Amino acid sequence: MSDLDRQIEQLKKCEPLKESEVKALCLKAMEILVEESNVQRVDAPVTICGDIHGQFYDMKELFKVGGDCPKTNYLFLGDFVDRGFYSVETFLLLLALKVRYPDRITLIRGNHESRQITQVYGFYDECLRKYGSVNVWRYCTDIFDYLSLSALIENRIFSVHGGLSPAISTLDQIRIIDRKQEVPHDGAMCDLLWSDPEDIVDGWGLSPRGAGFLFGGSVVTSFNHSNNIDYICRAHQLVMEGYKWMFNSQIVTVWSAPNYCYRCGNVAAILELDENLNKQFRVFDAAPQESRGTPAKKPAPDYFL
Amino acid sequence: MGAPEKSQVNANSMQRVKVYRLNGDGKWDDQGTGHVTVDYLERSEELGLFVIDEEDNETLLLHRISSDDIYRKQEDTIISWRDPEYSTELALSFQETTGCSYIWDHICTAQRNLHFSALSNETFHSVNSELRELPALELSTLPLILKTVVESGIADQMRLTELILSDQEFFRKLMDLFKICEDIENLDGLHMIYKIVKGIILLNSPQVFEKIFGDELIMDIIGSLEYDPEVHHDQHHRNFLKEHVVFKEAIPIKDPLVLSKIHQTYRVGFLKDVVLARVADEATTANLNSIIHANNAIVVSLLKDDSTFIQELFARLKSPSISAESKKNLVYFLHEFCSLSKSLQMVQQLRLFRDLMNEGIFDIITDALQSEDKKLVLTGTDILILFLNQDPNLLRSYVVRQEGVILLGLLVKGMITDFGEDMNCQFLEILRSLLDSYTLAGAQRDNIIEIFYEKYLGQLIDVITASCPSEGVAQSSGKSVGSSGRIGNQNGTKPEILFNICELLCFCVLHHPFRIKCNFLLNNVIDKVLLVTQRREKYLVVAAVRFFRTILSRHDEHLINHVVKNNLLKPIVDAFVGNGSRYNLLNSAVLDLFEYIRKENLKSLLRYIVDTFWNQLVNFEYLASIHALKVKYEQSLENCGTKGTGNVSDPRKRIDERALEKEEEDYFNEDSDEEDTASASMLNTQKVESQPILSNGVTPSHPPSSPRAGGLVDYDDDDDDEDYRPPPRKQPETSDEDEGTMESLRLKRKPASADNKPEVSKMQRIGKNSKSKDGVFAALCSTLSQAVLPKKTACTMDTTHTADGNQISVEENHENKPDSDRNKSDSSTTSDENHGEEEPAASKICSDRLHSNSDNGQLGGEDSPLIPPKSSPEMAVNGS
Repeated sequence: MSDLDRQIEQLKKCEPLKESEVKALCLKAMEILVEESNVQRVDAPVTICGDIHGQFYDMKELFKVGGDCPKTNYLFLGDFVDRGFYSVETFLLLLALKVRYPDRITLIRGNHESRQITQVYGFYDECLRKYGSVNVWRYCTDIFDYLSLSALIENRIFSVHGGLSPAISTLDQIRIIDRKQEVPHDGAMCDLLWSDPEDIVDGWGLSPRGAGFLFGGSVVTSFNHSNNIDYICRAHQLVMEGYKWMFNSQIVTVWSAPNYCYRCGNVAAILELDENLNKQFRVFDAAPQESRGTPAKKPAPDYFL
Repeated sequence: MGAPEKSQVNANSMQRVKVYRLNGDGKWDDQGTGHVTVDYLERSEELGLFVIDEEDNETLLLHRISSDDIYRKQEDTIISWRDPEYSTELALSFQETTGCSYIWDHICTAQRNLHFSALSNETFHSVNSELRELPALELSTLPLILKTVVESGIADQMRLTELILSDQEFFRKLMDLFKICEDIENLDGLHMIYKIVKGIILLNSPQVFEKIFGDELIMDIIGSLEYDPEVHHDQHHRNFLKEHVVFKEAIPIKDPLVLSKIHQTYRVGFLKDVVLARVADEATTANLNSIIHANNAIVVSLLKDDSTFIQELFARLKSPSISAESKKNLVYFLHEFCSLSKSLQMVQQLRLFRDLMNEGIFDIITDALQSEDKKLVLTGTDILILFLNQDPNLLRSYVVRQEGVILLGLLVKGMITDFGEDMNCQFLEILRSLLDSYTLAGAQRDNIIEIFYEKYLGQLIDVITASCPSEGVAQSSGKSVGSSGRIGNQNGTKPEILFNICELLCFCVLHHPFRIKCNFLLNNVIDKVLLVTQRREKYLVVAAVRFFRTILSRHDEHLINHVVKNNLLKPIVDAFVGNGSRYNLLNSAVLDLFEYIRKENLKSLLRYIVDTFWNQLVNFEYLASIHALKVKYEQSLENCGTKGTGNVSDPRKRIDERALEKEEEDYFNEDSDEEDTASASMLNTQKVESQPILSNGVTPSHPPSSPRAGGLVDYDDDDDDEDYRPPPRKQPETSDEDEGTMESLRLKRKPASADNKPEVSKMQRIGKNSKSKDGVFAALCSTLSQAVLPKKTACTMDTTHTADGNQISVEENHENKPDSDRNKSDSSTTSDENHGEEEPAASKICSDRLHSNSDNGQLGGEDSPLIPPKSSPEMAVNGS
């Protein structure tokens, strides 16, 4: 068994890797991710997953429902970290799978894959707590910069974490973004990761999130038309039923963190597309309490203070 | 720690409070200073706040904690309330926030208990009368006790807690039973005791924790928790703690309280992370964490106040006779010590760090950083990061000292050292923090920046040149630089090291624009960094592109001209072309770069790109941004209103033209002050070319005559600002910007540095070893530095005027430059013919040079029409 396979097994048990393993993994991941496009092409069949937010045991449920990684082809729409208790293990497992099966799993960036946001919403603190230093956080956030911004499935379905941007009317315009940077506070890259569709908005509206925009049905219609796509698939917003269509089936939100923050009481969903792009939503619940073993942390065997 | 009997020992600053009372005039009267505790009132089960005067041990305050909501916590250090007995407002002002929150928690807990006991008295008491007392602890009563513990509701839990606490012997007896059961291997009993102990822990009562985590009980408690009926393998927690865990006493700690707290902290942490990991709920975990936090604060503060301890620590650390092993342990100890000090209040931590600095902690780290032991080195950096997080100025003030400067060098060295599998991003982090110019300004910071540029930037650049193919190889005679030709680990330099260097350079460009500009011009840094594009690792290629993009973001005309003249975009375009139609990050990054040039209307670059590379880029015209670039180019030609009939002539020639450093010379050449037909000069390359190339500026004729002359960076003190002023501005924005930088430089001027000489020799060395451009810029710099002299020397910055004012006749230039300085200019030329070999002897270079120049001259002739005779303002600017 290769080191990588062993690490994947270890991560599947929710045991974090050593710092040195994280470093090696990140460097390999960097080589792979740098070759990806801002609009990464993805072939069907594929299973699309929304936000995970460090809910490791719920992600294991997801894999139970959707199938294991190389067997099922996955597209994750970002927000792997923050809020849940296991951002480190969650992200490292996904990253290890990416390195091991680069063609069978696609990871795109969410608004939480950012230095600023993770310092507020938990990933930074978690790294500090689990490793005693923030080096792992530094390596992981460096990797975030390399994650693709969106995906295009069989030229028919555009997938992005947040939504559209007034600066982007064609997919070609996404190409000229040098994505290797911290998520900016405005501009196309920011909007892709932050925007939300909104019923009551006609055209573009201010987002209450303070970044990105709200966009209405007409925006989606014209975007889909000019890029010749069937619909947009995105995540970024909690939907209690796990998924939600809007604007006459022109855009769908997929949410994959059941019982979000361990208290929202929602179910989660993933979207399975077969080779003909037929859709099937698979809805699932949070992992049962007893399966959430908290792995014992091995304490350092010596101490000064 | 709130227990009264311990209060003397513990009478540390955490409990120190001032008592205030609101008088009739609405003013707060200071009632005195003492130590506060929470304890049972005499002959009562009620809790009260006691403050004992620190001077005379009299009771300053005695207050029965009320169940009413009268308490307020303000600003983290004040607890106030309206006291019914005194019928006025009282307030405790704590010395420390930790003490305040500790007492506040006690008050809240006491209130909760009062509240629930009231409830249970009224409503539940009759129903659950058995909770009036617990049965005597015996083996036979364990099931009943277990039932009570496990099945009691919230109100009963409060009562249960009280009962357990009121029986001083409860835990002792329970643990005795545990030992009996263990001796007779009574597994049922052990399981029951496990559940009872677990249930009691989950009551989450601070008072209970204080009891069971005491030295006498904790190991037995942990022992009893080994018998989880749901875990089927044996657990050996006690064994682990007794046999495997090592308490490393790097330096003997004599205070028994400190020792006991240290062990307790470890054990509570072990309970939380291992023993109870599966069972503890969030609230319990939070309480355990706060116990650990408070313990850490006590330990650190007692140790730091123990002056003999600190002195002994540093005496050992500095002792020459100490073994490597114990020194290592002492450094590890220091790290833990500093790290735990995060539990202190900010002010106190800062004071502690200052004290440690005065004791010489940075000398210790400097020493550690020179160790062969990588783990020790990294521990040293971890300590530095703790200091930087607290206050970067501590480290800064050390680094600028005589003895501290070596530390800066070690950090740079660490950044370029291979740490194998260990993470070593700390070095980059620390350097960034030291060099950060956005944080408060100050002489220290400027000095550090100064030292860094003088001594260390070159080292970083050298790592790049040593680990990437030399320019000669890369650019000479048609050697393909396409993706096929990319190079991997040339000399084993780890890619992440190069990556970190690129990151730091980008940071420097943003933070020290002026300094970086002069340094870059002088040392050909840009093209050296772009050697990274030759590397196989695509993320490094992208990092180099980003570096370039960062430079452009400065909108610095000198740098842009430098790029154009030296054909610096070639490696980037080559990388882009070599990448082919692949849509990856490299592709996007270069397109972003082109897009930026187009949108910002950087005309000289635009022309340069299209003129020079169009035959390569034309294959990518299907990309909107490439096409737009061409369109923009054509528009700009039209705007020029000239015959620029889109004559994209042989790119090669153009490049050759560019090769001339002539323009630059012009800039800095004093003689050339004429009108600024920048464009003309630029494009009329042939003219230039035809001139014998002058070795530029590193000029014999301008020896570092002034004391301050040669310093690379010396031009800080620019008394001569006026001289340096960029050419009469046609483009207000840019020139303003320049002025701004000059202005700021003037403000921070520093005394002339004594080490001009080395710089000079460095310049000369560069002149020999690198391309001719260096010479030009060296000249620039030397002029700059001379210009610094109050008395302007012959070569003042008027030359810059010429820069945009080009139109320089060739003759002007040569004066200073010996041919020897001017070596190959290959960078500027794409043409293969130029230089077959790398690093030819100077004379050879010279002749090459001449040869190619003459070629250029001819070619240039054809091209010249492109350039309109009268240049637009932008062009002029570009010229400069």
